[in-house]
Amino acid sequence: MTELLIQTVVQGLLVGGGYALVALSLGLTYNVSGIINFAHGDFLTLAMYLALALQTAWALDPYVSTVITFPLLFVSGVALYWFLLRPVARSQLLMVIQLTLGVTFVLQNGILMVFGGQPVRVPSDWEASLLILGDSLFLRTPQVLAFAGSLLLALLLWIVLDHTETGRRIRAVHQNPRAAALMGIDVPRVRTLTFGVGIGIQAIAGALLIPGTPIEPGQGFRYTVIPLMALVMGGLSDFRGIYLAAILIGVTEALGTVFVSGTSGMIVPYALFVLVLLLRPQGLFRRA
Amino acid sequence: MLEVAGLTAGYGGPNVLEDVSLDVEAGELVGLLGANNAGKSTLINCISGVLRPRAGSIRFLGEDITRAKPSDIVSRGIVQVPEGRQVFPRMSVLDNLLLGGTTAVARPRRADRLEQVFTLFPRLKERRPQYAGTLSGGEQQMLAIGRAMMGGPKLLMLDEPSLGLSPLFVQTIFRALRELNAQGLTILLVEQNLNLTLSCAVRGVVLERGQVALAGTSATLRADPRTRQAYLGL
Amino acid sequence: MRPDFFQFLRSPLLWIPVAIAACLPWGLSAYHLAIGTLALLYVSLALAWNVVGGIAGQISLANSVFVGTGALLASALYIRLGIDMWFGMVIAAAVSAILGVFMSLLDARFRLGHLSFALVTLAFAEIGELVVAGTDFLGGASGLDLPKDHGRFWLFEFGGGPGYFWAALVLALICLVVNQAILSSRLGYYLRALRDNEDAAQAIGIELFRSKATGMAISAALSSVAGTLFARYSNFVDPTLLASPNLTIEIVLIATIGGLGTPLGPLIAALVLIPVGEILRGQFGGTLPGLHFFLYGVLIIVVVLTSPQGIVPRLLSLRRRFRRA
Repeated sequence: MTELLIQTVVQGLLVGGGYALVALSLGLTYNVSGIINFAHGDFLTLAMYLALALQTAWALDPYVSTVITFPLLFVSGVALYWFLLRPVARSQLLMVIQLTLGVTFVLQNGILMVFGGQPVRVPSDWEASLLILGDSLFLRTPQVLAFAGSLLLALLLWIVLDHTETGRRIRAVHQNPRAAALMGIDVPRVRTLTFGVGIGIQAIAGALLIPGTPIEPGQGFRYTVIPLMALVMGGLSDFRGIYLAAILIGVTEALGTVFVSGTSGMIVPYALFVLVLLLRPQGLFRRA
Repeated sequence: MLEVAGLTAGYGGPNVLEDVSLDVEAGELVGLLGANNAGKSTLINCISGVLRPRAGSIRFLGEDITRAKPSDIVSRGIVQVPEGRQVFPRMSVLDNLLLGGTTAVARPRRADRLEQVFTLFPRLKERRPQYAGTLSGGEQQMLAIGRAMMGGPKLLMLDEPSLGLSPLFVQTIFRALRELNAQGLTILLVEQNLNLTLSCAVRGVVLERGQVALAGTSATLRADPRTRQAYLGL
Repeated sequence: MRPDFFQFLRSPLLWIPVAIAACLPWGLSAYHLAIGTLALLYVSLALAWNVVGGIAGQISLANSVFVGTGALLASALYIRLGIDMWFGMVIAAAVSAILGVFMSLLDARFRLGHLSFALVTLAFAEIGELVVAGTDFLGGASGLDLPKDHGRFWLFEFGGGPGYFWAALVLALICLVVNQAILSSRLGYYLRALRDNEDAAQAIGIELFRSKATGMAISAALSSVAGTLFARYSNFVDPTLLASPNLTIEIVLIATIGGLGTPLGPLIAALVLIPVGEILRGQFGGTLPGLHFFLYGVLIIVVVLTSPQGIVPRLLSLRRRFRRA
């Protein structure tokens, strides 16, 4: 029993690390632009299919092909913000949400048209590799790498945001865009580039999450909704909170799946989210 | 130094400013006066580039800046201290100040200027690590001015710096402004407080419903009954 | 009820199109009739959503829960317990209305903002899909097969293409009339006041919870009934189709493309987009699956960027300007 519990919690931590990767980049784009991008998860799908295409064409390992996919996603993020989101940023929330839902339809079905709807696996040299801790804890190496990647990303975000001039400017734009402009910060430029980086990070997340997971064009929504829950539970602009909330979702999902039985167990994180939103709308870790 | 000619501007609706012209010479402290909604803030927002004028031109140091980006205008040396202070609340006082000098032109001189700001407002030095949102209104105003000074302005524009402050803080702020002006800084001061402004400005311009109603030296404006009328909106 | 509602009921602009539509089963091929039926079902779904999303201006993303309840609960009650599907339809609609009221209760009790409301309803949609997948009574992930339709009206069987077309037409008409009735009544006035300024509307004494809950209950019940009819019509309830959040998003997008608030926008958008989508699916389904959704996506982006109030209000205002000129 305890062995199962430990294995489950560890598995949940690893899955949560994957969610955290996506949630942190979602947090970055949300905080700099004030826009919740419902197509965020679809960019992850896009990154994964690009990795698949590069694997098929040139036999590039997904880890290696990020060198190509990162710039591609960065550019598409920049284009998304500059051409579609910036013009509507001041209109009603409903409109902005609709627009990003429109982008979701375009991406999901664009991918469907190009790659077809069958779930596919991207073969990777790492796929089957296991790490064995002690005598009973089995960990899939790619998941451990993804978890480590999420920690590294969190660390990197913290260093950049809290300890560099660029980060200071991004925080200024987030806290008071008008004052930031009066300080000589080129606000549209900061927003566009940061949004691009946020989408670009999806390339890295995609590479880290791909080994051993089948991908399909319609998966993106799930990769928007769960990170979005982490974002809200974490308190929107508190990156540590977002990270912890993503981990918490991973762990509760794993516990639910193992101990509550199958699909009903997957409800646990959603129920947790609704509870948190009702009881602690300011976020789990922030003082009211 | 600053030449505004025939400026017309508004926010989607009717014109808030109509055909306003105004000059500021180097080293002057000019007061921009007028009642609420006279268009004072609109004018300096046009100068800062955060609002596009509908007509007219703005020149600074002989160059046209009418359509320049706000960031470009700051780099050229016009810095605004906005109404309501607009500090970055969840950042330290130090971070706020450093952000004031974030342009490429200002960054190399940040360390020196930080010392100058701390000399001008020793209070800010004490409060360095504190979140700006936790400061009192007067301290936030000092921070907003200090932050603007970090950009190394040639022309400093202040929008209602005395608004909502206790008389003691108002004195501190205005003493600092006089001191900066005495050191050679050109200042355009938007204020509702007529006497206070005229006591430290050389010249004043009175706006009334978006147009220049009166202009002249502080002494003439003080003596002219129309100045007060413009304030009461008569 | 304002007099314009009765004017609307008497208007030939309402009844002539309905009469023409009612004659369509004699003129259309089975394939085109099926497309027409689907379009009418989507008209009902879009108009049901419009009560909350358009008139009250709340971004509800939970409508798939109501549609799924209508489809799956009524079907399951019929198959497993032999409960007449008319009665099942009413039970499902009541359950949906209660679920809707519960969401409104959360909204009012915890004063959720627009974004939080959207997220809570979205979470409910996800939960709903998972509950269905995990409940054998409702058919689990594989869905439910309904027994053959023998045209027994009292058993909610409409006996083939024309029957279902007429049933869908009646339901769409009901949804349209309900929308118009809400707009012409005190409830519609309250909901619009709340949409435009919640604080001010509350300050002048509009009961936030009661108005929103009534709107939500109506929207949920209508969606549920559409779900029941959808299920019986297709003989098979596919949970990935009828209980998934994707359905809600599709409805929301259609309604927004048409234009929110008035019933005309969602109505016309569904009548145009569904047939176009189906024909595209028929033409390109084999070679380019997803083309019609791709085009929806492009269309919504263009609409939000160029005429955020929706296409139909935009066309109407253009016509007005044209007439004046």
